[in-house]
Amino acid sequence: MTTSTHMVQMRDVGMQFEEKKVLDGLSIKVEPEERLVIMGQSGSGKSTVLRLILGTLRPNSGLIFFKQFEITRLPRRKLQQVRRHIGMVYQYSALLSSRNVRDNVALPLEELTDKTRSEIDKIVDEKLNLVGMKDSKELLPEELSGGMKKRVALARALVLEPELILLDEPSAGLDPVIASVIDELIISLSDNSKVTSITVTHEMESAFRIGTRMAMLYQGKIIEEAEPEQFKQSKNPVVAQFLSGSTEGPILEGSLDAITKK
Amino acid sequence: MANANPPVLVAQGIGHVSRNFFREVGSVFWFIVNTFEETFERIQQGRVPFRAASFFRHTQRAGVDSVPLVGLVSFFLGLTMALLTGYQLQRFGTERLIPGLVAIGFTRELGPLLTGIMLAARIGAAFTAELGTMQVSEEVEAIEAMGIGPLRFLVAPRMLALVLLMPCLSTVSNIAAVFATSLICKAYFSIAFPYFLDLVKDSLLIRDILTGILKSFLFGLVIAAIACYRGLTVKGGAAGVGSSTTSSVVTAITTVIGLDTLYNVVYTTFYPT
Repeated sequence: MTTSTHMVQMRDVGMQFEEKKVLDGLSIKVEPEERLVIMGQSGSGKSTVLRLILGTLRPNSGLIFFKQFEITRLPRRKLQQVRRHIGMVYQYSALLSSRNVRDNVALPLEELTDKTRSEIDKIVDEKLNLVGMKDSKELLPEELSGGMKKRVALARALVLEPELILLDEPSAGLDPVIASVIDELIISLSDNSKVTSITVTHEMESAFRIGTRMAMLYQGKIIEEAEPEQFKQSKNPVVAQFLSGSTEGPILEGSLDAITKK
Repeated sequence: MANANPPVLVAQGIGHVSRNFFREVGSVFWFIVNTFEETFERIQQGRVPFRAASFFRHTQRAGVDSVPLVGLVSFFLGLTMALLTGYQLQRFGTERLIPGLVAIGFTRELGPLLTGIMLAARIGAAFTAELGTMQVSEEVEAIEAMGIGPLRFLVAPRMLALVLLMPCLSTVSNIAAVFATSLICKAYFSIAFPYFLDLVKDSLLIRDILTGILKSFLFGLVIAAIACYRGLTVKGGAAGVGSSTTSSVVTAITTVIGLDTLYNVVYTTFYPT
C-alpha cells in the first residue's frame, strides 16, 4: 500500500520501550512544503516520532510513509537511499567530534555523491554561508558554542538538498537572538527551497514563529492539530494548560478524561 | 523462587549464562556478516567502502604504534623462555634444542596469542571506547540518518586494519623472541649466531609459519569484531562506555585464548606431529 500525496504519513503508530509505552496509536499527515511543529512535554515521545520517520527506530505497530515509501518495511539498502532525501538536526547537534566543521558538513557529499573536491568545497561554503558559519570551517566541534553547533548541524542536514528536514529542539538552550536566527533559517528554507520541515519543540515562541501547522503530542497520541492561531485558541484543556504553562490542569493529573471531554 | 532448591538454581544459572553466551556469539557473527555485506554492497556500486586515510589512521594506531609494546614484551618473554628451558635442557646435554623450541613455540603459538592479547587490551579497548562515545553522543545515529552505512564507514576500516596488521605484529613478536633467544644462547650456552640460525631453520616448518599467520588473521578479525560490536551497542552514557570497554577487553582476550585452544585441538587432530 503506498501513498504519494503526503510528504509523511504515520498511521496508528505504536512504540514501546520495554515497559514504557511511548506512542499509542499516533496518526498524522504532513503535506509538502508545510512546517509542522509537534509540541509536547519532555519525554512525551517527540524525538521518537522523528526517529521513526527516519527509520532509525522501528515501530511496534502501525505504518509510516515518506512519500510513496513505507519506511517500516524498506530493506536496509533502500532505506539508506530514502534517508538521503531527509535531513535531520539532532537536539545535541551530533557533529562528529573528530572532524572539523568543514569535514562534518562535507561528509554526506563525500560519501554519497560523485562530486569532486572543488564542487564539495563550493557546496560546503554555500551552506556554511547560509548559516553564518563560513569563518569557522577549520574549528572542531568542541571549539563551538551550542548555537554554532546547531547551525553547523543544520548546514550538514541541508547539504544534500533534502525534501524533508527534521529538527529536534532546534532552539533549545540557545540565547533568544541565535534562536531567532535558527528559526528564520528554517522559515527561509521552506519559503525559498520548498523544503518541508517537522520540528519538535516545547519552546513556545520558536514553535509559533516557525510553524504553519501545530500538533500536540500527549500520552502517545496527537490530540490536537491546527494552524497556529486556531491552536492558540484551542479549547482542549491539555493544549490550553501546555500553552499557558499552568500547573492546574489535566497534564499533571495524567488523565485522558479531560481531553475526551473536549 | 521460595521452593527452588540449590540444584535447580544452579541449572537455571547455567542455562541463563549459556543462553547469553550463544546470543552474544550469534550477535557478533551477524555483526561480521552485516559488515561484510554492507562493505561489498558499496564495492558493487563501484565506490570505495571507506576512505584510505581512515584505514591508514587505524593501521598506524593498531599496527605501527603497537610495535614497541609487542616487540618489548616478546623480547622479554623470549629471554625468559630461553633461559628457563635452557637450564633444564642443559642437564640432558640438549641445549641445542633451545632455538627450535622457542622458534616453533612463538611462530605457532605464543607470537599470535601474545599479540592477540596485547592488541585486545590496547586497540580493542580504544575501538570500543571510541565507538561507544560516538554511540552515546548520537554520532553513530547521525551517520546512519544521513544514509551512510555505519558498519562499512566505521567498522570496516578498523576491522581490515586489525586483520591485516595482526600477522605483521605476530612476525615482529616472533623475531623479537627469537632474537632474545639468540642472545641467551650466545651468552649462557655458547651457541654462536650462525649455528643458532641453522638450528632455527632446521626446526621450523612452513606449516608452523602458516599456522601462525592464519591464527593471526583470525584473532585480528575476532578482536576487531568484538571491540566494534561492544562499542556500537553501548547503553547508559559514560558509565556504559566504561563497562563496555572492560567487557570488550575481557571478552576479546577470553575468546582469543579459547579460539587458540580450539584451533590447536583441531590442528593436532589432523597433524599430530
